[in-house]
Amino acid sequence: MNRYLAGFRLQTALLRRAFGDLHTLLTVPVYTLIFLAMTDGVHRPGLSTDAVLAPALMGLWFMAVFTAGDLIVWDRHHGTLEPTVAAPGSLAPVITGRIGAVTLLSFVVYVESWAVGAGYGLRLTVHHPLVFLAGVVATAFATACTAAMIATLLVLPRNAQIYQNSVSWPLFLLSGIIVPISALPDWLRPLSRLSFLYWSAGLLRSALGTHPVDDALLRLTAVVLLGTVGAGAAAFLLRKVLTRLRVLGTLGYS
Amino acid sequence: MNAIQTRALRRVFTAGRDKRGKSGSRTALDGVDLSIPPGEVHGLLGPNGAGKTTLCKILSTVLVPTSGSASVMGHDVVTGLAAVRPLVGCVFGGDRGLYGRLSGRKNLAYWAALYGVPRRLIDGRTTTLLDRFGLAGRADERVETYSRGMKQRLHLARGLVHNPPVLLLDEPTTGMDPVSAMDFRRLIGELRNEGRTVLVTTHDMAEAEAVCDRVTLVNDGRILHSASPQELSALVSRYGRVEARNVPDTLTQRVRILPGVTRVATDTDGVTRIELASADAAPPVLRLLIERGVTDLATCRPGLEEVYLHLIADRGMEVGR
Repeated sequence: MNRYLAGFRLQTALLRRAFGDLHTLLTVPVYTLIFLAMTDGVHRPGLSTDAVLAPALMGLWFMAVFTAGDLIVWDRHHGTLEPTVAAPGSLAPVITGRIGAVTLLSFVVYVESWAVGAGYGLRLTVHHPLVFLAGVVATAFATACTAAMIATLLVLPRNAQIYQNSVSWPLFLLSGIIVPISALPDWLRPLSRLSFLYWSAGLLRSALGTHPVDDALLRLTAVVLLGTVGAGAAAFLLRKVLTRLRVLGTLGYS
Repeated sequence: MNAIQTRALRRVFTAGRDKRGKSGSRTALDGVDLSIPPGEVHGLLGPNGAGKTTLCKILSTVLVPTSGSASVMGHDVVTGLAAVRPLVGCVFGGDRGLYGRLSGRKNLAYWAALYGVPRRLIDGRTTTLLDRFGLAGRADERVETYSRGMKQRLHLARGLVHNPPVLLLDEPTTGMDPVSAMDFRRLIGELRNEGRTVLVTTHDMAEAEAVCDRVTLVNDGRILHSASPQELSALVSRYGRVEARNVPDTLTQRVRILPGVTRVATDTDGVTRIELASADAAPPVLRLLIERGVTDLATCRPGLEEVYLHLIADRGMEVGR
């Protein structure tokens, strides 16, 4: 727990002193405005919920990929990974604590998109608050777990930024955040179910709607399960990657 | 039980492929046997690329040896990671390795928490260390505003944050001004008095001579000699010399042909340096000089720097292969 808290406090302190790392938070209102303008422009008010929810989920994901995903790579480049690894205990709780701090801050994206929606004259009502809350928490959990996996994977290539940039938009398409899944080719749709964002987006949309939420527990379980798979993969990869770096002698660039 | 022990320790780095697609390799450590008893301050002296940092990294568990073994307080650094890490404080030094956006105090508090220092003790521990290393006045300023010497002192403080019995200091005085370097030597003395084992790597012969109980000279990943600074000097006493003033040219010619004299040179200040191949060569040289009326003379024993230069004399500026 101490190592988790140490990581959490470290990341909180770093984020307070580096607004550059929070650039994603500046893009969320812009995306919300764009999506609202697009849906309003074609007179499809039924899509307003999606127009507010999509930028929030995108912001959450971008924070995971660009801020949390960079943690280990940044430490490696700045020589702080070596002393961290040389300390007793596992690196996993430290990374988890740091990603936890980023994820907690990421909740701001909901407030941002909601505020822009309200400014646009949109009144969103959460008709199923418990489902919505559970969905938000489960999504945060899955995001943090996936971020841990990404943070570990990004250590392997030298030019990790290319992958950071290219992985997000295909995932948004696959998850049905930007366009409905029904617009995708039939053969591609089963892949959507492997993305926690697909389940999260559907659940949160339903929680905002007036109709009863179908399969709420199933969808929540899917989000948590995919998050847990991500966490397991992250833990496995972290061990493997650290061993590999210690064997190759590339734990730090010097 | 030795505090630090290595047996036939070898580390080979695989280099990238060349234009013909062949992958190369570089041997950083080549069969290193080293024993350091508890409480000893041990200097590792060698040129760039000699393998000093590689050895420190292996002992701190961040690098795996290719073959051989290394242990700290009896725990193997590969199979006993969990036991080794709390026992070792590492100071890798340089501008990197710290969170520049955070203050020195926050950096230390983070590392203290990471090393399992109880939360109630962290504030006191960090304050004490910041005081000890002369950083208290700027403890709450961002590390990125610190000078290189201040960062170096913060590295040292971090190495001690969990009160380890074994300290690995990799070039700890790099970037320090002379006053700080003197303070560092005093600190090493304190660490010795506290019973800690210290392995310190350095290029600085004077520093090694001043602070170390024993010195190991390394080159190309191999140990050349391991002894106390004084023993090393004695070992190469054959490299002793005689220095004299106002030696006439005719006398210089006579000295040059005496047995055991390897080199005679006179500098612009009128000091003639007579290099000797053995300790036995000194009396005839001194006798001849005194008989001819040269009374301003002295015999000199080599310092550690001269020993070092003699032992790796042929290497020049070349870095390790």
